[in-house]
Amino acid sequence: MNSAHEVTITIDNQTVAVERGLTILQAAERNNIRIPTLCAHKDLTPFGGCRMCIVEVDKMRGLPTACTTPVEEGMVIRTNTAQVNAVRQEILQLILSEHTSSCLICDEKEECRLYATTIRKAGVTTGCRYCSNDNRCELQDVATQLGLKEIGYPIYYRHLPVEKEDPFFDRDYNICILCGRCVRMCQDIRTAGTLAFTRRGRQTTIGTAFHRSHLDAGCEFCGACVSVCPTGALAEKTNKWEGKPEREQLTTCPFCGIGCQMRLQAKGNMILGSLPAEDPLVNHGQLCVKGRFCVSELVNGPERLLKPQQRTGGSCATLTWQQAIDSAAARLSECQPDDFGLLISPDCCNEDLYVAQKFVRSVMRSHHIDTAARIFYGPGFSAYLRLFKRVVPLSELEKASVIVCLGLDARYGRSVIGVELRKAIRQGARVVTIHPRRHSLSVISQQWIQSVPGTEAEILRGLVRLTGVDGASASMAHQMGRLAPQIQETAALLKDAPAPVIAVGSEFLRYGSCADILEAIDQLARNTGAGVVLLPAQSNLMGSILMGAFPEVLPAGVPSSNAARMRELGTKWGVSLPEFRAFWTSASLGSGKKLRVLYLIGEAPAQLRTAADFIIFQDIYPPDLPGQAELILPAAAFSEVDGTLVNGEGRIQQVRQAVQPPGEALADWQIICRIAQNMGAAGFDFQSAGDIRQEISTVDPELADFNDNSRKFRPLLHQVDFMSSPAARHESADMKGNGGYPLLFSVAAIEHTYRARPLSSRVEGACTLFAEGIVHVSPQDAEAAGIADNDEIILSSDHFERVLPVRVQRDQPAGFLHAVLPPGEAPNPNPLPVRIRKKDVQSA
Amino acid sequence: MHSLKTHRTAAQEKWHELQSSRVPVIYVGTASCGRAAGALAVLDSIRKTLVEKQLSARIVEVGCIGPCYLEPLVDIRLPGKPRMSHANVTPEKARYLVTAYLTGDKPPVRSAIGHHGEDGSAFADKVPRFFDLPMMKPQVRVVLRNCGMIDPQEIDHYLANDGYIGFTNALRKGPRGVIEEVREAGLRGRGGAGFPTHKKWEICRNAPGNIKYLICNADEGDPGAFMNRSLLEGDPHAVLEGMLIAAYAIGASHGYIYIRAEYPLAIVHLNKALAQMRECGLLGKSIQGSGFSFDITIKEGAGAFVCGEETALIASIEGKRGMPRSRPPFPALAGLHGKPTIINNVETLGTLPNILRNGASWYRQFGILGNFGTKTFSLVGKIRRAGLIEVPLGMSLRKIIFDIGGGTAKKFKAVQTGGPSGGCLSEEFLDTTVDYESLGAAGSIMGSGGLIVMDEDTCVVDVARYFLDFTQKESCGKCSPCRVGSRHLVELLEKITRGDGEPSDLAKLHNLGETVKRGSLCGLGQTAPNPVLTTLRYFRPEYLSHVTEKYCPATVCRALLEYRVVPEKCTGCQRCVSVCPTGAITGPRAEVHNLDPSKCIKCRACYEICRFDAIAGDAIVIRSGRRVPDEQRA
Repeated sequence: MNSAHEVTITIDNQTVAVERGLTILQAAERNNIRIPTLCAHKDLTPFGGCRMCIVEVDKMRGLPTACTTPVEEGMVIRTNTAQVNAVRQEILQLILSEHTSSCLICDEKEECRLYATTIRKAGVTTGCRYCSNDNRCELQDVATQLGLKEIGYPIYYRHLPVEKEDPFFDRDYNICILCGRCVRMCQDIRTAGTLAFTRRGRQTTIGTAFHRSHLDAGCEFCGACVSVCPTGALAEKTNKWEGKPEREQLTTCPFCGIGCQMRLQAKGNMILGSLPAEDPLVNHGQLCVKGRFCVSELVNGPERLLKPQQRTGGSCATLTWQQAIDSAAARLSECQPDDFGLLISPDCCNEDLYVAQKFVRSVMRSHHIDTAARIFYGPGFSAYLRLFKRVVPLSELEKASVIVCLGLDARYGRSVIGVELRKAIRQGARVVTIHPRRHSLSVISQQWIQSVPGTEAEILRGLVRLTGVDGASASMAHQMGRLAPQIQETAALLKDAPAPVIAVGSEFLRYGSCADILEAIDQLARNTGAGVVLLPAQSNLMGSILMGAFPEVLPAGVPSSNAARMRELGTKWGVSLPEFRAFWTSASLGSGKKLRVLYLIGEAPAQLRTAADFIIFQDIYPPDLPGQAELILPAAAFSEVDGTLVNGEGRIQQVRQAVQPPGEALADWQIICRIAQNMGAAGFDFQSAGDIRQEISTVDPELADFNDNSRKFRPLLHQVDFMSSPAARHESADMKGNGGYPLLFSVAAIEHTYRARPLSSRVEGACTLFAEGIVHVSPQDAEAAGIADNDEIILSSDHFERVLPVRVQRDQPAGFLHAVLPPGEAPNPNPLPVRIRKKDVQSA
Repeated sequence: MHSLKTHRTAAQEKWHELQSSRVPVIYVGTASCGRAAGALAVLDSIRKTLVEKQLSARIVEVGCIGPCYLEPLVDIRLPGKPRMSHANVTPEKARYLVTAYLTGDKPPVRSAIGHHGEDGSAFADKVPRFFDLPMMKPQVRVVLRNCGMIDPQEIDHYLANDGYIGFTNALRKGPRGVIEEVREAGLRGRGGAGFPTHKKWEICRNAPGNIKYLICNADEGDPGAFMNRSLLEGDPHAVLEGMLIAAYAIGASHGYIYIRAEYPLAIVHLNKALAQMRECGLLGKSIQGSGFSFDITIKEGAGAFVCGEETALIASIEGKRGMPRSRPPFPALAGLHGKPTIINNVETLGTLPNILRNGASWYRQFGILGNFGTKTFSLVGKIRRAGLIEVPLGMSLRKIIFDIGGGTAKKFKAVQTGGPSGGCLSEEFLDTTVDYESLGAAGSIMGSGGLIVMDEDTCVVDVARYFLDFTQKESCGKCSPCRVGSRHLVELLEKITRGDGEPSDLAKLHNLGETVKRGSLCGLGQTAPNPVLTTLRYFRPEYLSHVTEKYCPATVCRALLEYRVVPEKCTGCQRCVSVCPTGAITGPRAEVHNLDPSKCIKCRACYEICRFDAIAGDAIVIRSGRRVPDEQRA
């Protein structure tokens, strides 16, 4: 019965046929034979370090480890003999003698277990100070499995300081058993290479090169090491004392357009944390720092909105839902289609977006619906959305032989793409990165075209011309200056590659030249046949197009100007829809006519107060400034609802409820439906997100697949002309050095957000990593200006002056300043030549 | 590029010209052992003397000829006369020798220790032949044949002494023929384990793939072992020729020499030798028109002992941390960069040219069945004649230690074979023959060739502690039995040498030693407990006296010792007072001195000076025994 793919082995007197190429450990596991292990992990390469899985194999010398030895035909394996168990016991004692194993041999052990849920959190007072990992510790499991009761060796404590300075996770290498899982994860799977074994003998430990902090050592804070640690040595700050999660829920990460699959861990009605899901399509079992570490802090914040509130003047009153809905409906009923506006976050689920636009179109009889993506992309909005037609699946990255990355930094956000890029490089792909600063890709790429901020469009146009049919003239090299050789080489690479990929990041999205850059990408993709990988910051940008959450589009992404489709839609909804007229967009908020009512769902544009008389603010947290809204409605976060998101590739992915919303908070669609019903509208009696999906799949033939779970790649079908906000002033970077403004200041948008809120406003560690609102200065410029970290500087130009804190960054090239700022605060033009001086303490 | 033949003819002429030189030739051993003894100062002195006295002579720097205890060695050959070897030469003595030989009527041949001429040469005047000296006579020089005889930096010297003939023969035989020849010769890996070389080669040869690697393991890290260093310094081309032969046999296209950075001279010589090989067309594309292409890269190790282990060595070359991995897959199938890789020891490779040059049956005349050939050893420790030796396998330990090494000054106690991974064998094992199986049966290993001889002044518990301390510090930390287990072993041994040992500790040592041996991943861990296990087995009474009587028979374990002044013998000469670093000894001149045990740090200075420099000679004694309780001391 043996085929070429199978071998017959005898394992603990059981003769079984197993797949060739398996290790003894895998073969045993598939036959329900449990061999104790500590260093083996299903996702990692075999290591053979802990020696717990030693077995006896006939005709093999010594005691081979099951995790490293492949099965062979006719092998006779014994996993549970007296000899093997005796040696295992001894070895486990040795491991534990290097581990502050109080929990394993503690007198209170049995009692402690009974009260484990409460006692550990108060570890300090009850005497157990060592480990937060009780009950989820693999070392405990193995000790139990082997029946180890005492340790016959003196216990060594390594006296290493517990490392708590870096964000998100603490490291206590005193309880590390050196199984090397974290190192293999970091080196082999994540290919980040931050962690390694250091020193030897009894001083062997895990750490970074030269013992730098993780921040300085290039750690991506993906937390993959924490996930695989079998002990409490690596522990997540937010949930280390929370104990074992009770259940997990598979869902989609809502923190950017990649849409990683992840598992939310819950206990009671609280999210403890999140782990990557095994996912063959998008994230391959990886997450970035946002998905891995930011969820629980974001959704568990103590300021979450629990009940509807009414704010009048300075006072704030709690309302019942009935009162709140009545109030909202009353206000909305007074509105004309033209003096109403609804702004919804492109992080909301499709169901919310669909219901919102249906509400606006059929109840308010208006087209005044928009998302803040328009503000985020500014003048490049329409060009960015146009690129969606060139989008290829993320899996193309692995297959591509040439990848050009533009303004893409994959260290923190999008680090799963960094993993894919490194994987591609290992398989021989050539990666070119165009970026003004040293960043996560500049070391690993074959080419780093270091652009002067604002000149990216010229570089790309150079590439477009060089890859075009007629080629380029000789004078071109001159125009491209010092970068000419690199640009020419990149063009040659692109021309020869069968299916190159252009990955678009977000560095330049606030530049005045953003639209030009995006146009040039489009042309370059056309010239070279390249696929485009778009990595939007919004988790459901594509979904908001498909759901019709813009004035320009109807569901299925059909242009609103298509009157036939509009009529069809009206028939389906049982109303006659208003004719589509000139645009109202979120970009005009605060500048044009003041609205009567502005309904904000997970959005908070800058010009709020001047935008409308009455503002309905529906979100998970209260507005940042008191008095910004009249009616505040508590919404549910993504972890509390069911729904779907469409990622940057076009995959429809599930968001699943893990816990109940806090207090009386409701899903966005539920709130909208209640208002609509209160206003007497029909067609809003949805009972679940599934009902909405059912309607979505029938409303347009192109959305028929909306209800299936295949998550297949789904390109955008329609071409819509989106309207961008007027182009900002864009002047050539030659201005630099003129008029006594020697430094070029470039500003990028805050992109690590959820429902318009920077994650750093709710997640402590995110502040450290994303450093928003801080100007990055090169060491040279800092020295020249006599400034150091955390100093405040005054940046000034002809019509621009701002005081901002600084951080001295080695990655920053001399002569250039960089900051991540909210949309309203960017200079115009961007980049802008400025001069800096240290703010005097006296003048402060 | 000329053919090898042309080079050889030119080399032979050059060599002949040196042998029949009309000016005197002065040979100075300037390998590391010579340098450590001051050979460079001697060389300098010789040069200066020649200039000052306006004498003409040729100076040839040679490698280590063997008796390191006689270094610096300077040989002088007058035209037409045999080469006379002078030992322990100082710069002054060198000046005298050069002057006396080159200008005097009667060269001071009688002060030579040996000559390299014909038997009974009249000029030598009853001085024995160098190779008839008791240390040299029982030896067979196969691998070391050129060491000390030729200038290792001259490929011509090597070529003139039948260099690269083995390789030429190999090309004629074809890869399969070479493997067959080596199989017939019965060559086993000289790195320590003694795995048949041809078997490993065959596996690699038959492995699929056209990229294969050969690695020369020159990461000699055992304390007290220097065989490989001496060979690389004294005759690098022998090893390089061996690499060519091995690479040709297995079909490797690239070779690495993984050598520790602590061997700077060997690296210099290797680099020179590689340049010379390129010049002679012995490296590169289609070597000597054979179609066989091969090149060699030197990779310097950063000094981790574990990198001598095959898989750790491969990881180190790949730029990773030197950590061993589990086998299978064996490197012969999946080694460097995942390609089939053969790792051979320096000595194995150095043996190959001899086998290919003279044939397997010639090689089989040395050694015994199953253990053919010779083995080099570094014979060190409490031995009269320390140095680098080469003997046929199957010689008894007694013959090596007492005939070649001249025995110990004090009573022989033990010999450690195989370095830190080996075992300590007691007197009753002296008649054990040195071959892989016999040493293994005695609980030790052949190892790469360290022989450390101990006499009654050596404490075996302390020796075991020393070796264990070495291996535990060198453990890579990957597997728990080795990393933690060896640490506990050291601490237990320290506890015993501190006088805190309990009888139950001996059983603990044994059990833990067995766990580490059985549970560890690589050879380092698997053999690390050997020094403890063998000393426990053969010197149990000494352990027992440490734990029960707190008595160290060798008076080594400081915590168990007490220094006392014997009042009847002390003459009050104050020599001990003058050397005591802590002021523990006091007393006016000519009166019996007082030694305060609470201040004494047991540095042994007073004891030594009393024996060698004081009037009384033995007024200070070291006592070990039941510990004096602290209150009684006060």
